[in-house]
Amino acid sequence: MPVTVLMTPRRAVNVGPGSGWSESVRDVRDAVSPVGCPAANPSLSDSFSKHSRLQTSVMHSRFSFVVVACVLGMSVSAVAQERPYFVTYDHYLEEPGNFEIAVASTTGFPKAGNPSYTAPWLELEYGLTGWWTAELYLEGVTMHGNGSAFTGLRWENRFRPLKGEHAINPVLYVEYERINEGSRIQKEIVGSGALAFEPISELREAVAHELEGKLILSSAMRGWNIAENVIFEKNLSADEGIEFGYSVGVSRSLGSLATGTTCHVCRENFTLGVEAFGGLGSTVDSALTDTRHYIAPVFAWRLTDRSTLKVSNGFGLTNASDHHLLRIGYSYEFATRSVR
Amino acid sequence: MSRRMIIAAVAVMLFALIAHAQQARDRDPRWIAPADAAEKSNPLASRPEAVAGGSKIYRQRCATCHGENGRGTAKAPDLTAPGVQAQSDGALFWKISSGNTHAGMPTFSFLPEPQRWQLVLQVRALRVQPVR
Repeated sequence: MPVTVLMTPRRAVNVGPGSGWSESVRDVRDAVSPVGCPAANPSLSDSFSKHSRLQTSVMHSRFSFVVVACVLGMSVSAVAQERPYFVTYDHYLEEPGNFEIAVASTTGFPKAGNPSYTAPWLELEYGLTGWWTAELYLEGVTMHGNGSAFTGLRWENRFRPLKGEHAINPVLYVEYERINEGSRIQKEIVGSGALAFEPISELREAVAHELEGKLILSSAMRGWNIAENVIFEKNLSADEGIEFGYSVGVSRSLGSLATGTTCHVCRENFTLGVEAFGGLGSTVDSALTDTRHYIAPVFAWRLTDRSTLKVSNGFGLTNASDHHLLRIGYSYEFATRSVR
Repeated sequence: MSRRMIIAAVAVMLFALIAHAQQARDRDPRWIAPADAAEKSNPLASRPEAVAGGSKIYRQRCATCHGENGRGTAKAPDLTAPGVQAQSDGALFWKISSGNTHAGMPTFSFLPEPQRWQLVLQVRALRVQPVR
């Protein structure tokens, strides 16, 4: 029996037998849904008792809730600066021992009648040391009228070689990607050519191992952040040469003196900026005629000491680009309590 | 996954563990502010009310490592120690701004300059707070 869960409408209609969700996933979703919760709806209690597996799932979900609550209870206010950009990196790394979870999505509105898509991703970031931050990305895609798919994972590392603040602060970035052709998150754009719009079932079969490097240059200047990234990407699964890309960003906090009280909607919690990014061809195709380029205003709102909401709308600048790339992201950060 | 990739992944994880364990946590005696930076005076020194904002930023950005009362944790040193409090406002401002990432101290240059001066006020205020 199809069930309703608290997700996006498209996801909601997909949840049911044969929808691709595993039984256990559906059970847990039933358990956490107010509609399917037996405690909240006595009429469902009888059927609920017939499914001991579902009860086990409820226990698991409650156990998970307790574990999450304990972890959050152990956490204290975090300190990191969440960059306002989605594509461009600045020189601020995760503080050592801090862990950040972020969920975000890229929604693209292509040209030429191609279907729109939404590509969500989960980001797990950890500050290994003051000079090394590692991140794991898990990403997927839903294309309008064309199904959904898991599109791969990325393992990213950022290294800050210089210990202090300089006029220009370099950061070295190395990433391994195992993604398929359905990938649409567009955390970076390299090479040339528009996105492919074959059926997801075909795109997901074309899996590539890729190695990506970035030289990140970033400066703090009179309250502004100015960041420039040069991107190199090599597909290890095919002989495509090395692809190039870029991104640049400028942003500024709207705050000046901090107020003494806790506030959520005050200037010091907002950062505004703009970023531009795109592909620069490759070693086998240096022409820039078919490359994609975007310019995107960015907005970040520090909701609480630990969480940040980011929004951006990218405008396509070339024929190969989509009309718009709408991005939304939410991050939550915590650090384990430490005592001497 | 090929055997070579597994070996590479294990090697990277081992390196990460070693780097994490080697992360310095004590005060770095070689971390000294340049003379011109140390000479700067706090433009908020005559505005003691600004310390309330400094206290808030401290709780948000610094207490995780230095402790709620600034007396240090396993992650970062005691800010009430004489060695810290003897430094000039300009030196503290420079250290907050530039960080010492190899010793685990983040860079706070992303904070607007007035807020970093508010943090200096708060560091000064820590020395008179009772031990909790």
